[in-house]
This record gives sequence, structure tokens and C-alpha cells, in this order.
Amino acid sequence: MIELRHVFKRYPLGTEALSDVGFSLDKGEMAFLTGPSGAGKSTVLKLICLLERPTRGQITVNGHDLGRLPARRLPYFRREIGVVFQDNRLLNERTVFDNVALPLVVAGMTGDEVRKRVLAALDKVGLRGRERGFPLALSGGEQQRVGIARALVHRPPVLIADEPTGNLDAALSDDIIDLFREFNDHGVTVLVATHDLRQIERLKKRVIRLGAGHMLGAA
Amino acid sequence: MKAYMTRHAQVFMRTLGDFARSPAPTLMTIILIGLTLALPTGLYVGLVNLQRLSQGWQPRGSLSVYLKRGGADDEAVAAIRRVPGVAAVRYISPAQGLREFKRASGLGPMGLFGRRNPLPGVAIVAPARPGPRSVARLAAQLKTLPDVAHVQSNLVWVERLDAALALGRRLVAILAATLGLALVLILANTTRATVASRATEIAVVRLVGGTNAFIRRPFLYIGALTGGLGALCALMVLEAGLVALEGPVAALDRAYGAHYRLSGLGLEQALALLALGASLGWLGARIAVARALRRGEA
Repeated sequence: MIELRHVFKRYPLGTEALSDVGFSLDKGEMAFLTGPSGAGKSTVLKLICLLERPTRGQITVNGHDLGRLPARRLPYFRREIGVVFQDNRLLNERTVFDNVALPLVVAGMTGDEVRKRVLAALDKVGLRGRERGFPLALSGGEQQRVGIARALVHRPPVLIADEPTGNLDAALSDDIIDLFREFNDHGVTVLVATHDLRQIERLKKRVIRLGAGHMLGAA
Repeated sequence: MKAYMTRHAQVFMRTLGDFARSPAPTLMTIILIGLTLALPTGLYVGLVNLQRLSQGWQPRGSLSVYLKRGGADDEAVAAIRRVPGVAAVRYISPAQGLREFKRASGLGPMGLFGRRNPLPGVAIVAPARPGPRSVARLAAQLKTLPDVAHVQSNLVWVERLDAALALGRRLVAILAATLGLALVLILANTTRATVASRATEIAVVRLVGGTNAFIRRPFLYIGALTGGLGALCALMVLEAGLVALEGPVAALDRAYGAHYRLSGLGLEQALALLALGASLGWLGARIAVARALRRGEA
């Protein structure tokens, strides 16, 4: 489902973010991508979402060889991935409903189907009834849940999360990671970048370790 | 198709909402565009009015043929009628000419001319073919007739006015093109600022699979709407100008005994101006968004 082979990434100013990184995740698998700050976790996720392109190496996601993916196909590829960020990246001037509906609207869906799916997604993350509110009126944990609902509302086969519990306390972090596990139980391939060792030990899922842009191991 | 139209309607409604949220800068841009469009449009309307006015004055290229005094005017008029290219001839006898002159000049009661009539007979010739060249050719032929003293063409000043109007039209076209370009740049700059203020939103839309067309759409609506409303503002400025000129034109009318009313743009021209404003706005927005989208590509 996700495969990186001999991936290198050098940024324009010469910083080598990744050097010969490689790992693979099977369909329906869940794994943690871990390492200290600056290890290259976020870069790996950006490469998988094609927010960045690798300097060298091959990345395959959901059957797409990303090196051969033309720019015009990029939006359609991104619709196959759900992404959750530490800062959740919600649109604060839009309602919770509109935020969650965005991937569906972008995909050309309208009317009742959007409403049905958004309410179902909000139900799954425990925010049913809050759809008319605005993100800034929600707590940090609730905002993160809205971000997760948005990432999953269009039912992507792959879910990527970059430090999704970074700003949350322990109890809220457990809730969020449990949500990811629940989605994984339903067949979604999940890759979570985190340095929260407590979550890694609690879930007993596969761990991919990075350090200074190099692979330190995949257990 | 229905879903496509629904999406467009949703984006359009959201655009109206964005307009309502920041009325002051939007209004200023609209007024700026309105004034930019009002200048060439006003000049165009001025030229059209001048052209209409001059058409009323044009004698359609008639020729005044002055006959030699002491000759047989009826024979001369008959000779003129026989010249090819003459459509009609109206003869003004010396006596009739004097009467008209006395009435028009107000010098009649002064008995200035006594019993002597210094005026010759005049034949007003209407050419079969209007147009400067054929009229000039006919004038040359008439001059060769033995009883003709002088031929005067009434076309010269009309030609000069036409040339001046043509120059005016060209100047308006150049001004319109220049200000149209300025309008595109104004809207491109405005849209660029709007795109910059929505960088986060654009990044999120990209992330969830928004195509460039989807990202572009609301900005194109903003551009077209701003341009269209700017054109509407230009029409209002123009109407206000015409209303302001109505009084002085009426006074001029009374002084010359003429019957002329200033006219603005017709419905079709007004709609064309609105469409032009919207198109230029759309173009400006398209240029600005295309640049922003190119910068954001992976």
C-alpha cells in the first residue's frame, strides 16, 4: 500500500532531510513513524502526500508510482489519502460542517450525500451536534477530531497523521490514537508520525524509526 | 450537469458572502474601476452625440451654383439639370435670395440695397451620388458650363468635422485599450492580495484534492463580479454626467432654436460595457491566480 525505496530528499538550501530511506506498509496495516525532532518524519509524510517530491528514489502509494504521476493527476491522487496535522489546519471562518465537507465538495459531491457523510464522520469522532459551530469555539482535542473527520469523510484507503497528539494532554491523546486504531480495524492503512513513546508502547503496532534523515530500523 | 451548476451556485453565493464581509476595500476597488471605465465611455458617448448633432447639419453634399448675372437663368438651370450626376435642382432667383437675406440678416428695414439687387441667381444642386469624390467631380463639371460663375461645395467643413470625429474615435479606442489594460492590472493586483490572504485555505483545499479549477473558481467569480460592478458604477457616473449636462444643453438648444437631446448608452451598449467589465475582471483574476497556483505546485 505504501512503499519507499532508497528515498533521498535534499532541500534547495542544501539541507539533506532524508538519506536512503526505505520501508513498506501493507494494505490495512498501521504503523508509527518515530524519531527525534529533525529526524525527517514530516518530510516522509510530505513525500507520501506529494506535497514535496523526492530528490531520488521511488515511492509507491496505493498502486501509484509517485515519480510518474503527472501534475494534473495530483488532486485525484490526494483524494485517496486522508491527512491529519498537529495544528489540524482547519479553516476558522468556516463552520465545522463546512470544514468536514470540504473533501466531498472538492470531489464534486453535493446535497444530501454530503450531509449524510459529514454527519456520519462527526458521529464517529464524537462531535455530532457541533456541526454548526466554528473551530475556534472548540477545544484543542475537539479541533483535532474535526481534522480527523475531515481526513476520513471521503473514506480514503490511506490515513497519514503528523504528530496528531502533539498539542494534546495524555487522555485526549489516547482518544485520538484510539480513533486511528478504530479506523485501522475497519481496513484503513494508517501511518502516524509521533515521538509519543507512551502511545507507541500502548498500541503495540509496528514502529519505523528515523534519525537525522536515516533509517534506524523498522520493527 | 445539475451538480456542476449547484457547485457554481454555491461558489457564487460564497463569493457574495466574501464581498459582504469586506465591503470597504471591495467598494473602493469597484469605484476605482468605475472611474477608470467611465472616462473612455464618457468620451465615446460625447463623440456619438457630436456625430449625431453633425449629421443633422450635413446638407448631404449639396452644391451651390452661382449663375452669371445678366444671363438667362432658366436656360442655365436647364443646362445644369442635363449634367449627368445631378439628382435635383432648386433655383433661388435673385429677388428670392434678397428677400431671404433681408429676413435672415434683419437689414431689410434699413433699405440698405435700395432698388439695386446685387445677388445672382443660385441653383442648389443635389448630387445623385453623395460622397466627397463624386461631389467634387460634379462640381468640376458644373464649373465648365458657360452661365455658371462659381460653384461652392458645402462638403468641406463636414469633411473636416468627420476627420476630427475619426481622430476622436481613434483616441477613445487607444484610451479604452490603455485603461482596459490598467483595469486588468488593478484586478490582478487585488486578486493577488486576496489569494495571499487565503494561502492557508488554498493549501488545505490542495491537500484534500482540490483541482486548480476548483481553487481558481471563487477568485474568478470575485474578479468578474468586481469588474461587472465597476462597469455598473461607470454607467452610473455617466448617467450622472448626462443629467448634469442636461441644463446647459437645453439652454444652448433654446439659444440656437435647435431640438437636440443628449443621449447616453443604449441598452445593448450598456450590457456590452457590463460584459466587458466582467470579462476584464475575470481576466485579471485569472492571471493573478495562475501565477499563485504555479508557485504552489509540488
